[in-house]
Amino acid sequence: MLRYVARRLLLMFVTVAGMVTVVFFLIRAIPGDPATYMLGDYATTEAVAALRAQLGLDRPVHEQYLGFMRRAFSGDLGSSVVTGQPAFAEVLESLPWSAALALAGIVVAVVVGVPLGVVSAVRQGTWVDMAVMLGALAGISFPVFWVGLASILLLAHEVRIFPALGASSSADPWVQLHHLALPALVLGLSVAAYIARLTRSAMLEVLGQDYVRVARAMGIPERRIVFRLALRNALIPVLAVIGVTFAWSLGSAILVEAVFSRPGLGSMVLKAVFARDYQLVQAGVLVLACAVVLVNTTLDIVYGLVDPRVRVG
Amino acid sequence: MSATPPGPAPSPRRRVRRSRIGRYLRHPGFATGLVLLLVLMVVAIAAPWLAPYGPNDTDLLNTLAPPSAAHLLGTDQYGRDIASRLVWGARVSIQVALAVVALSLTLGSLVGALAGYLGGWTERVLMVGNDILLAFPGFLLALALVAARGSSLENVILAVSIAYTPRVAAVMRSVVLTIRPRPFIEASHAIGMTSARVLLRHVIPNSLPPVIVVATVSAATAILAEAGLSFLGLGVQPPTPTWGNVISDGQGYITTNPWISLSAGSCIAASVVALNLLGDGLRDTLDPQMRRDTSSRML
Repeated sequence: MLRYVARRLLLMFVTVAGMVTVVFFLIRAIPGDPATYMLGDYATTEAVAALRAQLGLDRPVHEQYLGFMRRAFSGDLGSSVVTGQPAFAEVLESLPWSAALALAGIVVAVVVGVPLGVVSAVRQGTWVDMAVMLGALAGISFPVFWVGLASILLLAHEVRIFPALGASSSADPWVQLHHLALPALVLGLSVAAYIARLTRSAMLEVLGQDYVRVARAMGIPERRIVFRLALRNALIPVLAVIGVTFAWSLGSAILVEAVFSRPGLGSMVLKAVFARDYQLVQAGVLVLACAVVLVNTTLDIVYGLVDPRVRVG
Repeated sequence: MSATPPGPAPSPRRRVRRSRIGRYLRHPGFATGLVLLLVLMVVAIAAPWLAPYGPNDTDLLNTLAPPSAAHLLGTDQYGRDIASRLVWGARVSIQVALAVVALSLTLGSLVGALAGYLGGWTERVLMVGNDILLAFPGFLLALALVAARGSSLENVILAVSIAYTPRVAAVMRSVVLTIRPRPFIEASHAIGMTSARVLLRHVIPNSLPPVIVVATVSAATAILAEAGLSFLGLGVQPPTPTWGNVISDGQGYITTNPWISLSAGSCIAASVVALNLLGDGLRDTLDPQMRRDTSSRML
């Protein structure tokens, strides 16, 4: 097991190093000079030269790359061109907002998606199955930002259960939760659609296995077969996919934050893109991507603990 | 006595092809998806004849008009006909979906096939690169690339393709790994075929079916990603109509003129449903285990 954990951690380190490389070259994908692009067409030559020196763009590429890599691993992702604050500090300030949204979204997704997938599999071929799968198809087909707008119209404007804004300046945690509820529901339901489809197919596969047939022949009650025998095994692949859905939900969180005017990493990256603040964009993208790698590695290790076949493989 | 002479019997290959097409069309999900997609493509191609107004024709005396006989889905804040903008917007979505599938299928298949077929260091290097790109949330990577390269249709296509190619490559590699040890590949080498020829003539064509399923779903994801980028103001720039920027235009009027955003969202959902049904249908028909019960798996 220790060897498996060490292998996973080494792979995580390699992946993060690769991500830093991708992000480093991303800024160099800007057509022309990045410093001119950031400062705009009317910037003076002196200002462009100063920014080039600040960003280290006047040095050879290999030197810039090694310096960037060294600084990134020590937590120095440069400074925001707009505010002058360290980019990493600004990212850390926005991180809790996005983490809360993504976490609440995943909770909604699992709480809604897994039971629906189980019901759909147990009632395979009935109207319940059809209805759940139709709902799941709608869930993965409607754009998350559109669902957000529709939910604001319905639940914040017509019925007035939730506030239309996704955040509040109040220190009261209940008020914060009330503001978080609708964005989390919107994000969670779109992920729940994937989880329901996956749980259904995993359950159908497990329910068709010989040991389930034997359990039925032994007269074990169906409820116990479904929840004690089948669901446990069906959840293993679902667990692995939650890591993938986490990455997906972080991507979608950018859109959800935009719809609900909620602060967070997504909103910060978007504002930085429009302000041409590339130091902040690369810091935000890097931290979001690293969060995904961290969650995936943790889930891989848990997956290895739950299913010994993974460790051997 | 029957005077009708028997027609020439169809060749075995044509019979197999016909039965395969029939099997696809009998799948209710595949058939529904195909019809929806064909309708969408006809709308996109025939936009100049179908749209009652030009996509950017403004009528400042008739702004934010509700749905009526003259404007089926009403007008936006500039008095532009929403229905016409949606019809023209179909072109962008279809263009993005087709281009992303073509690019990600070509690039992903090549990378995945080379990695799976050659193995060794080539596989390790290609797959580490692929895994690194896979670790980025797809939409975030596309957003960052568009932000770096600038907003244009070409850059959106390039960004979404780069973001979704690793998924195709990963599937291709895993399929090639199952095909590589098969006797017909060994036989091809034994008769003196070069590795490149074996790869192009046998390995890639035999690995394509599952990859095509992934590519179909990628097309749906590409439509959603393009719409998302346009909604954020980073996709194809106004006044070119896209479904994403129609939703964005309607966002400020969601409580007074909800049909602007709602109708555009329905168009996106219809096209994504079509592609998902098509993908599910292809997967069910290609996978013999799932073929047994296609009726309940159509969704």
